[in-house]
Amino acid sequence: MAKVAEKMVTRTVDLRSDTVTKPTETMRVAMANAEVDDDVLGRDPSCFRLEEEMAKITGKEAALFVPSGTMGNLISVLVHCDIRGSEVILGDNSHIHIYENGGIATLGGVHPRTVRNNEDGTMDIDLIEAAIRDPKGELVYPTTRLICLENSHGNTGGRCLSVEYTERVGEVAKQHGLKLHIDGARIFNASVALGVPVDRLVRAADSVSVCLSKGIGAPVGSVIVGSNSFITKARRLRKTLGGGMRQVGILCAAALVALHENVEKLESDHKNARFLADGLNEIKGLRVDTSSVETNIIYIEIEENSGTTAAKLSKDLEEYGILIMPMGTSRLRVVFHHQISDSDVRYTLSCFERAVAGEPNENGN
Amino acid sequence: MRHVPPNSCDLSLFLCPKRSYATCHFHSLHLIYSSSSSQLFTSLFSLNFVDMAPPSLLETATVVEKMVTRNVDLRSDTVTKPTEAMRAAMASAEVDDDVLGYDPTVLLLETEMAKMMGKEAALFVPSGTMGNLICVLVHCDIRGSEVILGDNCHINIYENGGISTIGGVHPRQAKNNDDGTIDIDLIEAAIRDPRGELMFPSTRLICLENSHVNSGGRCLSVEYTDRVGEVAKKHGLKLHIDGARIFNASAALGVPVDRLVEAADSVSVCLSKGIGAPVGSVIVGSKNFITKAKRLQKTLSGGMRQIGILCAAALVALKENVGKLESDHKKTRLLADGLNEIKGLRVNPCSIETNIIFIDIVDGSRTTTEKIFKYLEERGILLMQEKASRLRVVLHHQISASDVQYTLSCFQQAVQIENGN
Repeated sequence: MAKVAEKMVTRTVDLRSDTVTKPTETMRVAMANAEVDDDVLGRDPSCFRLEEEMAKITGKEAALFVPSGTMGNLISVLVHCDIRGSEVILGDNSHIHIYENGGIATLGGVHPRTVRNNEDGTMDIDLIEAAIRDPKGELVYPTTRLICLENSHGNTGGRCLSVEYTERVGEVAKQHGLKLHIDGARIFNASVALGVPVDRLVRAADSVSVCLSKGIGAPVGSVIVGSNSFITKARRLRKTLGGGMRQVGILCAAALVALHENVEKLESDHKNARFLADGLNEIKGLRVDTSSVETNIIYIEIEENSGTTAAKLSKDLEEYGILIMPMGTSRLRVVFHHQISDSDVRYTLSCFERAVAGEPNENGN
Repeated sequence: MRHVPPNSCDLSLFLCPKRSYATCHFHSLHLIYSSSSSQLFTSLFSLNFVDMAPPSLLETATVVEKMVTRNVDLRSDTVTKPTEAMRAAMASAEVDDDVLGYDPTVLLLETEMAKMMGKEAALFVPSGTMGNLICVLVHCDIRGSEVILGDNCHINIYENGGISTIGGVHPRQAKNNDDGTIDIDLIEAAIRDPRGELMFPSTRLICLENSHVNSGGRCLSVEYTDRVGEVAKKHGLKLHIDGARIFNASAALGVPVDRLVEAADSVSVCLSKGIGAPVGSVIVGSKNFITKAKRLQKTLSGGMRQIGILCAAALVALKENVGKLESDHKKTRLLADGLNEIKGLRVNPCSIETNIIFIDIVDGSRTTTEKIFKYLEERGILLMQEKASRLRVVLHHQISASDVQYTLSCFQQAVQIENGN
């Protein structure tokens, strides 16, 4: 008699983040064939091609490939704020402030001035202006040099900042002699959702950090874009931080494939998110603010009478092979990407229904 | 159309107007064949597809006067390109998100490196600079720390002062000897007396570099390393080894790498240099140390996602290329001896221990580093100008014995020309 394993056979639907995307066959072929060289001693040709392409797409003069979005933001903030005693205005619920180990301060010596993020990812323009330090108080103040926006805004559920809002913040920055940096980890999602070309969307920004390893699906990396002189300084700081890699064209070759293949798939990630959000909202015990689902991220609130918690529901779903991110005691997050199929979405919905209803997991289908 | 597989070397076509003669070779450039007018005409192509045109077309082809050269890149051992085996490994690597969880191939590499180095744990990082930066900053995580290191070491000279500008750590520089060591008594003298703490920073760390690049790839013996380790222990300090080229040192000294670094609390090991991987280094240390290092790596923003791709190449590199280092060292000695014979050049033969040669221009010689540099560059040989009268050459596994011969003969010609031969 064969031993029967007690664990049910399940598929894996990884909804923890869009960073989990694995390289496709075309990416693997591109990586294997990539033309490379030492990108520190000279220029790696594949890296060069990627940087040129990204500069063009974003409408900026130059670009720089970096290992991560965290480094993209860290370098950008530190280059704009290279004089000791600088301050940056950013959202109190922004990725830079919450999830980047406070590096701009602990490593960069830059002082963060947080302004309340609204639920749509924006900050009130008058609150931004109020946060700008009056130079007349400089004896006791740091010097404001930079404003940071995040588009799409992760912690509010992937909300998009409109081009109009971005430009208004850009005008405030200009008026006060400040720079504007956009954490555009998911700028392509925002661009697709808003129907605004990326370069138009970030026109007001002096620099943008764009992730290629998220929805775009490359295995590793982000790209910073900005002026020639900004990128020259950024390259040097990248070396200082230890991000100067050698034959890095291997990773850039995959990123180029990702750019060519996956930007257009983002709209269907957004469709999947909306479909699941609507379905989840119908489940008694769960609540989703469906109007806030603009791109590929869903926050799910667990109601008090539901009889489950974030931790428990997350564990139950794992039994079905569905991986999600618990955020606190009564909140879950789900993030879509191109390696989640339509059938995965339907499967996920039905598993949520069963898990919340407290049905035992009898079969994994 | 003939498809040339990627990553082959440049192809040269020699076209001769009188005699249509074309020769293509995949891995080296060959043969100048002169026409009856004894002029050399060449066209240089670097293509993926070679059009083997019929001879008549070749005769009317435009020709370029550039010399035909091969490519001998001696600037550094970082220039090594991934091999076919590495490319295949990268293409099929099993990967996952190494920030949210563990990339399985990264885990394989880190486990292997920890074992090889005799430490509890390891962490893959994008560069040697980040390896050193993380180690110094983790050992010196309390504000007001000081690290003792050589005045001519890589961390002090070539890492943008990051330990200070980014990490807030104060560097106390002690004189490096020509052999890469620092006198033990100078190290001890540099350790801050805690009784002076009101005005002193606190010494927390000593850094050594093995092999020591700026002294020409010199090796620190296991006895010296252990003695410095004892000094560190006696004073409650940590010891970090910048082991960018620790495998070279291990091969040259005939000491297993784990024995060589036994006294160290942490080591940073480059895989992208002589070991030949495309990217990356690995830090090794205790589990506790590596846990902190991983967090700092995220802060410094070296936390990469499906990075198993690069680790797969590194695993191949470790398997294939550690054994080749001794032959790099042999070729280096051969080249160094040959260069030392050239009147006008001087190489210190005692300093040739691994894969690096410093070449000095003898006083009174009519040649200069610029002239030699340019002459060699025109012939496809790349090296580094260290300063006004010094050149540097670094060998690696993608430099063949025939490349070495070619380099030597070009050096000979370069110097002869200047000295009026």
